Amino acid sequence: MDNTPIRHSTKQFILEHFPASRRRSLDDTDPLLESGVIDSTGVLDLVTFIETEFKVTVDDEELTPDNFQNIAAIAAYVENKQNGRA
Amino acid sequence: MLATSAQRLPDKEALVHGSQRLSYSEVDRSVNALAHGLQSAGLQRGERIGIFLEPSIAQALSLFAASKAASVFVPVNHLLFPEQVAHIMRDCRMKALITTKSRLADLAGVLSEVPSLSFVVVVGEGDTPAVPIPVYSFETFAAASADCVRDQSIGKDLAAILYTSGSTGKPKGVMLTHSQVMAGSSIVSTYLEITDSERILSILPFSFDAGLNQLMTAFQRSGTLVMMTFTFARQIVEMLAKEEVTGLAGVPTLWSLLAQPQSGLHNTPLPHLRYITNTGGAMPQTVLATLRKALPTTRIFLMYGLTEAFRSTYLPPEELDRRPTSMGRAIPDTEILVVNEHGQPCKPGEVGELVHRGPTVSLGYWGQPDLTARVLRPHPFIAPELQDGEKVCYSGDLVKTDEEGFLYFVGRRDTMIKSSGYRISPTEVEEVLYQSGYVRTAAVIGVPDEVLGQRIKAFVVSRNGGPQEPERLIAFCGEKVPHHMVPKSIEYLDELPMTSSGKVDYPTLRRREGL
Repeated sequence: MDNTPIRHSTKQFILEHFPASRRRSLDDTDPLLESGVIDSTGVLDLVTFIETEFKVTVDDEELTPDNFQNIAAIAAYVENKQNGRA
Repeated sequence: MLATSAQRLPDKEALVHGSQRLSYSEVDRSVNALAHGLQSAGLQRGERIGIFLEPSIAQALSLFAASKAASVFVPVNHLLFPEQVAHIMRDCRMKALITTKSRLADLAGVLSEVPSLSFVVVVGEGDTPAVPIPVYSFETFAAASADCVRDQSIGKDLAAILYTSGSTGKPKGVMLTHSQVMAGSSIVSTYLEITDSERILSILPFSFDAGLNQLMTAFQRSGTLVMMTFTFARQIVEMLAKEEVTGLAGVPTLWSLLAQPQSGLHNTPLPHLRYITNTGGAMPQTVLATLRKALPTTRIFLMYGLTEAFRSTYLPPEELDRRPTSMGRAIPDTEILVVNEHGQPCKPGEVGELVHRGPTVSLGYWGQPDLTARVLRPHPFIAPELQDGEKVCYSGDLVKTDEEGFLYFVGRRDTMIKSSGYRISPTEVEEVLYQSGYVRTAAVIGVPDEVLGQRIKAFVVSRNGGPQEPERLIAFCGEKVPHHMVPKSIEYLDELPMTSSGKVDYPTLRRREGL
């Protein structure tokens, strides 16, 4: 399944709420966490967004850098959740 | 210090980061090789070298190599943007910089503003960006076989400059000598009872006095320092368990994140965690209660320090039940006075400024003798004949004591904001608001926040009655300064309240917020 819509709205959310992401072009595979674009308090807002926007529940064990390292990873994670695979 | 640990326990694990593990002898060898490389590249005694790296083995090695080369290290927080890094480089007339290739690419545009910078050392793989000064490889330096570099520095020499903000202006560089840094680690390791069996988890940046102090205490006592960066509090809990960490230092924001259920702290046994320390602001009482429940065998030390005096007070864990809101008493070999506005000692319960005397008082601000003279002054109560030029540190923090001399934080004497452990100058944030071109006047204050300690609130008057667009202003700030300096909320006013002398009336703004 094509997860472009998930990527798109996640990217919009990040660009709107984390202005540091606009300092240069933000690609789907650009690092979000180690670059400091999203910090440890900001990431909680991102999790809340994902839960409400995509109607998924992020389990505690899924709060890992692997799932949130970039837009592509987030979209893949969300898609898996929606398909009941994660 | 490093050489002593390397001789005493050469095979002891010194630094851990991810899958990298270095023994003291390996650290000693790399540090010596790096120091040799830095010297051969032209770094001389007393010259400033910036270390602009994310937490990593290379970052820790760089600090010690800079000292070994008799230069002054300037740890630069890895979250800063190029404009802020350029300010630091210009301010201390930086001679050399150790950074990564991608960070150097980000900095390429501002390097021309730093004429003193004569070479760069880069860490890691990839293409080296084209810059007009020589660029050396960190890995080549560290792997070279080098003769033993002779220690030239003595205790009185400058070891480090830590950049921090005050109530006005741009960040200032606090100067610390080797003696002061060493006194800080001796004192802290004494009351935390740190031994060579310690495994300390480092989360606070080395650009922050308490973070640097963790590295120094670990190395002074031949313990192990585990380094990490984190996004989720769970990662910290997992690391505490995996590396059998015995000591952790954090700021209130970190503890708030750890106290949330999804951190997993409450259902992860951490039998090795001997102590935790809080600094950089008061820990919320609800958070403290949660931590005490989740970590029943861990000793909790509430500490207080300011960069200008490195480390100042701590509350012994056995006092937590009786006075959980106290910041404790003076650290060993240190005197803490509370002085009222008439310059007299305060009685218990009376609010006054905390004044610190002891071996960790810094040399003041780099290149700012007037500002230094306001903060570092002669002892108010000792006869001049007995002072021998000694300076005590006027902290700007308002405190009071109870009958038994335990200290309680009351507030700031000035308008400085403290958010997630960072000191933030309101004027620096106001300047960014002005840069947007959307505001006529702006004033910034800190308002209490459960997680951040304080969060930044801006009051603005829009320019020429222009539209009120708080999101646009916040977004502008977010592109100009790091996250911790961006206002969390913006309120539009028709006029800012002014004092009779024509300055912004901050107390009135604070009262609007019920403060």
